[in-house]
Amino acid sequence: MAEERLATRTQFPASAESQKPRLKKAQEFPILEKQNWLIHLHYIRKDYEACKAVIKEQLQETQGLCEYAIYVQALIFRLEGNIQESLELFQTCAVLSPQCADNLKQVARSLFLLGKHKAAIEVYNEAAKLNQKDWEICHNLGVCYIYLKQFDKAHDQLHNALHLNRHDLTYIMLGKIHLLQGDLDKAIEIYKKAVEFSPENTELLTTLGLLYLQLGIYQKAFEHLGNALTYDPTNYKAILAAGSMMQTHGDFDVALTKYRVVACAVPESPPLWNNIGMCFFGKKKYVAAISCLKRANYLAPFDWKILYNLGLVHLTMQQYASAFHFVSAAINLQPKMGELFMLLAVALTNLEDPENARRAYAEAARLDRCNPLVNLNYAVLLYNQGERKGALAQFQEMEKKIRLLKDSPSLEFDAEVCLFISAQEARWPRSWELPCRSGRRWSGRNQLKTPSQSTGALQPAKLPVCSSPWALTRLWDRPCRRQLRTGNSHQVPEQQPSPPSRRLCPWSQSPPQEHSQLKHQPRSEKHRSRTAPGQGSSGGDVAG
Amino acid sequence: MAAASSSDSDSGRAESSEASSKWLDAHYDPMANIHTFSSCLALADLHGDGEYKLVVGDLGPSGQHPRLKVLKGPTVLTESPLPALPAAAATFLMEQHEPRTPALALASGPCVYVYKNLKPYFKFTLPQLPPNPLEQDLWNQVKEDRIDPLTLKEMLEGIREKAEVPLSVQSLRFLQLELSEMEAFVSQHKSKSIKRQTVITTMTTLKKNLADEDAVSCLVLGTENKELLVLDPEAFTILAKMSLPSVPVFLEVSGQFDVEFRLAAACRNGNIYILRRDSKRPKYCIELSAQPVGLVRVHKVLVVGSNQDTLHGFTHKGKKLWTVQMPAAILTMNLLEQRSRSLQAVMAGLANGEVHIYHDKALLNVIRTPDVVTSLCFGRYGREDNTLIMTTRGGGLIIKILKRTAVFVEARGEAGPPPAQAMKLNVPRKTRLYVDQTLREREAGTAMHRTFQTDLYLLRLRAARAYVQALESSLNPVSVTAREPLKLHAVVQGLGPTFKLTLHLQNTSTARPILGLLVCFLYNEVLYALPRAFFKVPLLVPGLNYPLETFVESLSDKGISDIIKVLVLREGQSAPLLSAHINMPVSEGLEAT
Repeated sequence: MAEERLATRTQFPASAESQKPRLKKAQEFPILEKQNWLIHLHYIRKDYEACKAVIKEQLQETQGLCEYAIYVQALIFRLEGNIQESLELFQTCAVLSPQCADNLKQVARSLFLLGKHKAAIEVYNEAAKLNQKDWEICHNLGVCYIYLKQFDKAHDQLHNALHLNRHDLTYIMLGKIHLLQGDLDKAIEIYKKAVEFSPENTELLTTLGLLYLQLGIYQKAFEHLGNALTYDPTNYKAILAAGSMMQTHGDFDVALTKYRVVACAVPESPPLWNNIGMCFFGKKKYVAAISCLKRANYLAPFDWKILYNLGLVHLTMQQYASAFHFVSAAINLQPKMGELFMLLAVALTNLEDPENARRAYAEAARLDRCNPLVNLNYAVLLYNQGERKGALAQFQEMEKKIRLLKDSPSLEFDAEVCLFISAQEARWPRSWELPCRSGRRWSGRNQLKTPSQSTGALQPAKLPVCSSPWALTRLWDRPCRRQLRTGNSHQVPEQQPSPPSRRLCPWSQSPPQEHSQLKHQPRSEKHRSRTAPGQGSSGGDVAG
Repeated sequence: MAAASSSDSDSGRAESSEASSKWLDAHYDPMANIHTFSSCLALADLHGDGEYKLVVGDLGPSGQHPRLKVLKGPTVLTESPLPALPAAAATFLMEQHEPRTPALALASGPCVYVYKNLKPYFKFTLPQLPPNPLEQDLWNQVKEDRIDPLTLKEMLEGIREKAEVPLSVQSLRFLQLELSEMEAFVSQHKSKSIKRQTVITTMTTLKKNLADEDAVSCLVLGTENKELLVLDPEAFTILAKMSLPSVPVFLEVSGQFDVEFRLAAACRNGNIYILRRDSKRPKYCIELSAQPVGLVRVHKVLVVGSNQDTLHGFTHKGKKLWTVQMPAAILTMNLLEQRSRSLQAVMAGLANGEVHIYHDKALLNVIRTPDVVTSLCFGRYGREDNTLIMTTRGGGLIIKILKRTAVFVEARGEAGPPPAQAMKLNVPRKTRLYVDQTLREREAGTAMHRTFQTDLYLLRLRAARAYVQALESSLNPVSVTAREPLKLHAVVQGLGPTFKLTLHLQNTSTARPILGLLVCFLYNEVLYALPRAFFKVPLLVPGLNYPLETFVESLSDKGISDIIKVLVLREGQSAPLLSAHINMPVSEGLEAT
């Protein structure tokens, strides 16, 4: 050892000698952390220019030894998007003080931002060795695992994080895992807990509201969305969701005022303009509706729901040729939906192309599982063409579907259709009345509960699932009514409801058509009678 | 009342109207040259004459020339240079003696400078931190020349890796040196004892044993080595020492040192730790998940501003009470205390040039300022009880006086709908033409549809025919045959009359090279001249792009252009594999020909 020491010494005799004169005045070393407080103050005030100036000065003075200065410099780099540089600086920090878990955490964070999740996990694990009880490490590990699709591990880590310290962000991530796994109930459970923990977090409230909406629990959905709006009256997602629910209830004016806020904040949102368009549709301002829907379509040309609504509005306007184009565009984007084909068939029927209409109906009947209107309209078409057998088969199919719908408790069926069916069952008694059927449960009141995503159609983009099958039935019943109605130019005037219910209005207002397809006046009369319960708030008997 | 409050909040929003303002503009000097933080502002009756002065620990325009300034009214009374940047300023009563003039304490670097009557009175320096015993031992050995620099370096690195106590600057500097410099460094510094010195990051005052307004106060210091120290006001000895998990940035104290006190320290790791008298370690911890930018205690609520533009209220046990979103980033915060109406509120200087005043969640008032406010202070100044002092980023000084008649009223309940709700929707208008067309479609929809369908079929038919024809005559630029998958595209460069025509040929097969191809140009010989109209293509390696260049001379001076056809052929076959039509540009250099 001694020899070695000697050897190394003798290697640099010259340099040692040359430095000797300086020996007398050994200068004081500046304190490394002298200006850390100033760097920090500038940093938290986001005064990055001043901050960088101080850091530079400090690093010059300490010859790059000031760890905190490097640390903040790295943070600023990361904020400016230079993640690679920040990573290198954080690694320098980790070399300067290897025992500090914080440096490792930042290294991992930068790796995470660079998309190197596996490397990030390794570094986080190392940091976790230094600091066992840090929720942040657990949380970020969980997030990394989510990106690696290892949901079980992510789940464990996030629960650990919650165990150490509860944070909204952890709840959100945990909820996300459940959503990614398609487990809505568990996600709701998590978000419920989160809202309990932090009742004023609008993001949590909105997400919970949307989840309830997705499950069809409208009361709770509205409650949470409303809460979110109390705390943040300009919350885009919450306004859209709440607005679509208002539309369901027919409060178009209220919904429109709410949408104004969004229109200011996010003027280029396709769902917003879609919903505004359907509000105008509900208010029977068809031209405005078309304008708004076309804007929505311009903003999101590949969204079939907007095209669908456009098709619907054009059908209402009796612009069948245009409707045909919009609907066929929607079908190209979404070829698996029976209702779209039904709409196409309605357009084709009106364009006097019964052959293709029949084909479209056949396709619709093939694809559709639960919408009786498809079969109903098909049956009408077949009947008009004189194919009583086929019509009967379709009618029976429809009855089957209705029975199914009746049995499932969550779904409430359109009273109109029921009335129609009862009418059919009565077979053609011209002077048709509904004494026996009036006792049925599906009164107009129930309609109010149906979520019309059709009008509200698009929830904020995050949760496309919101377009429940219900949404579509809402949309769909319009065309069918249209068809049923056709040909009844001599309707009973007093039946025209003065403020017609939203869903019926397009049809009740449409001028009489001359199509000769449907000669069944009784049926059309039935439809008239249907409008009454539809609008009536009491929703009592349907006796009409 | 409701009407009054709503109009009040409106006036708060649009503070411009002078009459409705609650503040009198006492002084505004954009060139006051004061650059400081709220923690370096203090108001005190320094001379005991009832005239309150403003003490400013000024950092200087670029943090270069720190100064201690004392202002009386709008003018600077005294100004003296400081040895280092001031981290905090505080005024406090040191002893019971008459006259009861408060002392001024200025924390800067590792020292607290205490002034009495604006004269230097005492300098307190933080005690040295104990050095790492192993490190001390190593340097002692060096001193006695028992180990050489290389060994020293190795040992020091070992200590740095593992030890709890960090190394001194001297050792750190040594570790950075090159081999050649070590010897000199060691001989220069070995005789010195190693030191570890820390600095003060923040300072506040804490009443010693009485809650009175004019009671003796202790200084509470936060240091860079994660400690809190309480100093005795007379002897400047350390009365208590507490340690924190991170470096304190802001302190907020209530109570009396001898009785019971609570200390809240916002730290650099984004947490706020709450300590009590008998606790050496934090009792509660608030995790913000953001950096705190200000900490103010209003009665029993801790109000914290975070750098995510939010203001949070917490209880003294760390339970979150409320959150308010700010319109812009918070730069600084301070307490507004209007004693006459026993009102306590929080002022927050925002990055958008506004100062918002909050009582709990409720916005009481908004002050618009000509520049971004970076430090705030409210209290008795001169002889006026309620004065607001603000300094701006550009170094300006703004002094406002709260009108004696002014009453802050909270906007009750909800603030009402957002203003955007009143704006009209911008629904696109439809023209008369559109309406006419709609009407026409209603009338003749079926006919339109049929015509459209017929035309569509015709179009499709034509497209299909053209496609088949193209395939048959290899008119397409991408060859689809299995044997020669080829891609061709051509570029014409130049203004004329000479153009450069570059053909890019690419073999798109995965592995098979193609050999024996020919390129042939077909063109009108009256208009164009090419050096070679027919040439062989070299071997095409899969995936590579082969640019084949040739010059085209335009012969016509009439400004006409024509098509040049490019055919790619296989040797021995007459049908081309590929072909391209190149639309030649008009030659612009006519006179040259």
